[in-house]
Order: sequence, then C-alpha cells, then structure tokens
Amino acid sequence: MTDQALITKFQNGDSKEAAFTQLLKSHQTQVYYQIKKMVLEHADADDIAQAVWIKVWNKLDGFKQESTFSTWLFRIAYNETLNFIAQKKRLTAQHTQRTLDPSIEQPSGHDGLKESTIQIKLERAIAELPEKQRFVFMLRYYDDFDYEKIASITGTTVGGAKANYHQAVKKMTTLLQTS
Amino acid sequence: MENESISKELVEALKSFETKTKQVPAGYFDQFELDLMHKIKAQEQAPKRAPIVAVFLDHKQYLVAASLIFAIATGVLFFNKAEKDTAAVVKVEMIEIETLPNELIEAYVNNNELIAEVEWNTAIETEAASLSNNN
Repeated sequence: MTDQALITKFQNGDSKEAAFTQLLKSHQTQVYYQIKKMVLEHADADDIAQAVWIKVWNKLDGFKQESTFSTWLFRIAYNETLNFIAQKKRLTAQHTQRTLDPSIEQPSGHDGLKESTIQIKLERAIAELPEKQRFVFMLRYYDDFDYEKIASITGTTVGGAKANYHQAVKKMTTLLQTS
Repeated sequence: MENESISKELVEALKSFETKTKQVPAGYFDQFELDLMHKIKAQEQAPKRAPIVAVFLDHKQYLVAASLIFAIATGVLFFNKAEKDTAAVVKVEMIEIETLPNELIEAYVNNNELIAEVEWNTAIETEAASLSNNN
C-alpha cells in the first residue's frame, strides 16, 4: 500500500494504528539513520526519533498531502533534531566546553569502537559544520535526495541547498587535510 | 557528477562513518515500534487539557488584548455612568427646591423640628429616670 493510501486510511479513522505502523515500518530506519548521523549517539537518536514519530501520530490527521509524506516526515525530523541540538548546547554550555561542538560526543571510544585517525578527524569535521549544512549533506550524500526535496525539508531554496552541500564538502575536505 | 569533487580520502571516511552510524542494538527497530505504540497509547489515555484552556494558551496575545479592551471599556462606562448619575441627582434636587411651594417647605421644616423636639425630650426623660434610680 502506498504512503498516500495509508495516510487516507489513518485520516479516515479506520485501522488507524495499522496504517501508522505501516508508515513507521517503511520509514523508521531512514529517519533514525539520518538523525544518528547528526547526533552520533544512539540514545540521543532514539529520543529524537521517538519525538518525531509521536509528532507524526499527533499531526497526521491535519496533513494535507501537499508534499510527499517523506518530505513532511523529514521536515519534522529536521526541526526536532535542531531543537535537540540547541537544547543540548545550552545545557552543555552550563558545564564545560571540552568539545569542539558540545552537542556531539568526543569521537574517540564512541560506541566501544576503536576508530582510525581519519574517522576521528571526519567526526570532528562533521561536528564543526553548521547543523543545516550537516543535514543537507547527509540527505544528499547518503540518501540521494534531490535538491528540491532537501530545500523543502530545510526551508531553503534549491540554490541554498546546493550551496550548503558544496560548502560542507569543502569544509570537510579542508578540515581532514589540516586537522 | 558533484561527488567527483569529493576526495578519495573523504569518500573512504564517509563510508566508514556510515557503517558506524548503522550500528544499532539487536532488535532495536522492533523494540522501537513497541515502545512508541506504548507511549502513544499512554498519551491517548491521559486526560486531555481542557479545550477552552488550550485555546487561550494557543492565543495568548488575543487574551491579553481582550483583557485590555475589557479593562478600558469598563473604565469608560464606569466614569460616564458616575457623571450622569451625579448630574441627574443635582438636577432633580434643584427642580424640586425651585418648584416646591413655600407652604410645603414650611410644613416640612416644622414637622422635622417637632420630631427633633420629641427625640430631645425623650433623651432628657431617660437620663432623669436613670439618675433618680441611682439615688
């Protein structure tokens, strides 16, 4: 069944939970991975993903299908992730400033993995990217979203999304070479 | 292609970054669905906020504006009414005094003098009685 049909089913109130569960199964991994690429920690990604899907449940009745469900879903994920990062930055700023980006954990020893220097460098480089650039880059590079869709998700223009992507590539390349 | 501009070193790093971000606890996504539906059901069963309160909370600016308008309107009405009432009383009294015949005014004064005299005599008598009792 298509997303559109599942949404109609949900909005009509018949098998609401079944329709929602189907939508969840279709999109949850992609949403989770996108969030995790932004925050790195599993626990944080899990919290944000839960908040995203609860919002979907609460707002889906009012979704007019003017965009695709995927665009709408990623827009929610984008907003929730940015809110989470901003909140975490505020909280972390009250303690220490031991990391380059307080919203992201130190890469070394992350998730019990022994990481290569290049990996650590990359994570530091990613951490230094502005959140919007980071989000745009991940959607384009890993999920191959077109720029129109990325622009709609992040509330920017197609040109703005392209610029964000290329700036992210440039910064990461420079940071990998210099750090 | 735009990805051709990405260095080989960066491509390799991004590949291993992706592998790492895809590592999740075993059975995570199935558990996620169960936890989420549990939370949603709990939310659905929780008592909902009163709609009237919700409306006011969602439109605080309207509530503030309405309160201000109400306060101003009440003030204006109150002062207008007070002025009108005072004017009416003064007018009525003036008309009555001017239009009353002298006989009526004299009778009113005489009657009131009588009442005052009676009250005064009663007070004297009461006092005298209490004095004689004491003696």
